[in-house]
Amino acid sequence: MTAPLYACIYAEEFPAQALLRLRTDLAVQPVAVLGGRPPLETVCSLNRLARMKGATHGMTRLECETIPDLHLLTRSLETEAAARAVMLECAAQFSPRVESVSEENACACVLDIAGTERLFGPPRTLAERLREALTAAGLRASIAVSANFDAARLKAASARGITVIPPSHEAIALSGLSLSVLGLSEDYAETLATWGIRTLGELAALPASDMVARLGPQAADWRKIAQGVLPHTFQPIEDPFSLEEFCAFETPVEQIDSLLFVGARMIDCLAARAGAHALSLASLDLHMQLDGGRTYRRAIRPALPTVDRKFLLKLLQLEVAAHPPEAAVLSLALSAQAGQSSKVQLGLFAPQTPEPSRLDVTIARLKAIAGEDRVGSPVLEDTHRPGSFRMESFAVTQSASAQAIGSCTPRMALRRVRPPAQIRMQLAESKPSAFRDREQSYRVAEAYGPWRSSGCWWSTEPWDSEEWDVLAESNSGSSIACLLVRDCAQNQWQLEAYYD
Amino acid sequence: MPSASALRLQIEHALEHRFPAALTPVQRTIRETAATGIAAVDDLLQGGLPVGAISEITGPVSSGRTSLALAFLAARTQEERVCAWVDAHDAFDSESAAANGVALRQLLWVRCRRSQAGLPKPASTARTWARPDFLHLDQALRATDLLLQAGGFAAIVLDLASTPAEYSARIPMATWFRFRQAADRTRCSLLVLGQEPMAQSSAAVVLTCTRPESPPAFQTVFAGCTYEVRTGRVAAHPSTPFLATQRKPPASTWSANAAWQRETSA
Repeated sequence: MTAPLYACIYAEEFPAQALLRLRTDLAVQPVAVLGGRPPLETVCSLNRLARMKGATHGMTRLECETIPDLHLLTRSLETEAAARAVMLECAAQFSPRVESVSEENACACVLDIAGTERLFGPPRTLAERLREALTAAGLRASIAVSANFDAARLKAASARGITVIPPSHEAIALSGLSLSVLGLSEDYAETLATWGIRTLGELAALPASDMVARLGPQAADWRKIAQGVLPHTFQPIEDPFSLEEFCAFETPVEQIDSLLFVGARMIDCLAARAGAHALSLASLDLHMQLDGGRTYRRAIRPALPTVDRKFLLKLLQLEVAAHPPEAAVLSLALSAQAGQSSKVQLGLFAPQTPEPSRLDVTIARLKAIAGEDRVGSPVLEDTHRPGSFRMESFAVTQSASAQAIGSCTPRMALRRVRPPAQIRMQLAESKPSAFRDREQSYRVAEAYGPWRSSGCWWSTEPWDSEEWDVLAESNSGSSIACLLVRDCAQNQWQLEAYYD
Repeated sequence: MPSASALRLQIEHALEHRFPAALTPVQRTIRETAATGIAAVDDLLQGGLPVGAISEITGPVSSGRTSLALAFLAARTQEERVCAWVDAHDAFDSESAAANGVALRQLLWVRCRRSQAGLPKPASTARTWARPDFLHLDQALRATDLLLQAGGFAAIVLDLASTPAEYSARIPMATWFRFRQAADRTRCSLLVLGQEPMAQSSAAVVLTCTRPESPPAFQTVFAGCTYEVRTGRVAAHPSTPFLATQRKPPASTWSANAAWQRETSA
C-alpha cells in the first residue's frame, strides 16, 4: 500500500489576493481591503506593501485614509469565490483528491498526492510545479508537504515558500510553532500559558494521561497533532467544473479600454483553465452591472472553440465597441462554455477558404463598419414576393457541394434600387410611354408586361403589384433596361431595378 | 566621336555587373486565370479573369457588368470556394445571383449604407470622405480592405457600378496599389464594377461592357439581352505578352437569358 502523502496550499490574505489577481496594475501598490457594512468598514485583508506602510487588520477607513498612497478596495465575495475555484483547479491538475481547509482570511486546501511521484517527481518537484501553476494563475501561496495531514496544514499556514517534511520528522518540524495554530479556546490557551507551554514542541512533550486528566479527552488529539501523528479521514470536495470570472470595480469604469484591460486578464485565466482540462472556449458570456441598476449582457460565439487569447480578446473588444454600455460599469463577469478543441483535417487539394478565427474578427469588423444586420449570407425566402430575402450569419461550410445549385447559363441580373425610386409615368394605350426619374426623363422604346402578382392579403404586409420590363432611352441618348412596378394598392409607379 | 547608342552600350556594359536588374528586362509573369463561365468572354481573355489581381468591369447601366460578375462568382462558388460581394449601393439582387448559379451559402454579402445612424465614426478623418455622398464609398473601400487582408476569399466583387464616375475617380491610387498587393498575396480575384476605369495601372484586366444599339425585339416578354465586351487593358496576357500595338481592342458578344427561362431554352 502506498504511504500517505499530503501537500497543503495556503494562500494568506486571500481577499486581497483575489482582488489583485485581476488587477495587475495594483500588484506593486499598497492595497488594503475593507470589509463590513459601511460606514463601519474595517481592514480585513492587506498586502505586504500595505503592511510595510503601517496598515494593520481592523483599521477603520478613516485611519487608512491617513496613510499616503494606500489603495482601498472593497471586499468582493464573488471575486473570492472565482479565485478559490481557480486555486482548486490548479490543485486538481496534480491530484483528483482535494480537501478544502480554508480559514477566515485564508484559502487553503490539502491535496492527497500519494502515488504521484512517478507522474510529477519527488515531493519538492511537485510542490515547485504546483507553486508555479498558482503563480501563473495570479495567486501567491505557501506549500507544505508531509505524510501527516495536519502537519502539512499547520506548517503551510506558518511558513513561507515550500516546506517538505521528511517522514517521521513531523514532530521536529512542528515543534517551533506557536500554540495559537491549534485554534484553542481562550480558557485552554490561558491554562497552557500558565503551565509555561507556548509551542507545539512543549505540548508534545507532556504526558498524555495527565493532559487528558486535566484538560479533557480533546487534549489527546492536540498532543497527537503536535507530534504529527493524528490520523485523518480525507474528505475530498467535488466542485463542478465552471468557467467563471468576476471583478467588481471600486469606482465605476467609463472607458472601454480600462474594461478590456481587466477582460484580457479574465480571458487569460479562462483559457488557461479550459486548456488544463484539454478543452477550449466555445462561447463567452459577458455580464456587466451598470451604474443605475441596469445590466449589460452580450454573448461571443467564435466559429470554432478556441483558447487563442488574442483572438478572443479582439472579439470581445469589437463586441463591446459595437455595443458600448449605456452607463459606467460597476462589475464585470465573464463566464465561458467549454467545448472540444477544434480539429480540422485539411485536404491537400481542397480550395482555400478563410481561416475561421480570422473570419470571425473580419466579420465583426465589417459589422462595425456597415451595421449589425448588413453582413452575412443572403437566403431566399419561400415566397413569391419580389426581392424578398433574409440575411443569415456567414460561415464557411464544407457541405456546400451537396446543395442544389442553379443553372450555369448566364442570366440577366437585376440591380435593385433600395428603396424603390418614385417615378412619374406617362401611359399610352395603357402602356408606359415615358417616365421621369428625378431630373432624368426617359422615352420608353419597348415595354413588356404587365405581370401582375399579389399575395399575403391575409397579413399586415400584403402586396399587389404590376411589373413592366422596359427598354428606355434618356434625353442624353443613353439606353437602359429596367423593371418598373406599379403599386396597385396606392397606384404609384416605382423604379424597382435595372437590368445589368 | 562615338555615337549615342555606342556610348550607351559602353556604359551599360561597364555597369552591367553592378546593376544587373536595372538593365535586364523584367520577366513577365503569366498569371493563373479563372474561367468566367461565359465562353465568349473566356475566349476573349484567353482563359478567364486573372487570379490574384484586380479586374475592372466597366460600362454604363444595363451593359451586363453585374451579369458577368455573377457568372464569374457562380463558377467560383461551384468549386466550393468562398466569395464576397461588397455592395456600395445595396443593389445586389440575391434572386438574380441564385438564378445565375451562385451558391449563396458561399457568398458573404456586405451591404454598405448611406446613413451613419448607429455606426461608429469612420476611421477616415478627411472632411470630404465624411460627407454622406462619400460615406458608402468609404465603407465599401474599408470593407474590401478588410476582406483582402483576411485572405481565403477566391473572389471579391467591389460593386461601385452605381457610383458616379466623378466620385469613384477620387479614390486615391494608393488604395488601388494596396488592393493589388493584397490580392496578389492572398490569390484573390478582385473584380471592380464601375462606370469608368479607376484602378489604372493597378488593374490587370479592364473590360468595357456595352449594349448593342439595336436590342432584340420580343413579342410579349423580355426574354434576354445581348451584351458586348471589349478588353481595354490586359497587363499579363497568357500568350500575347503585349497588346498595346493593336489599334482596336478585341471585342466579343454574349447573351444572357431571363432568370425565369428554362435551361433547355437557352
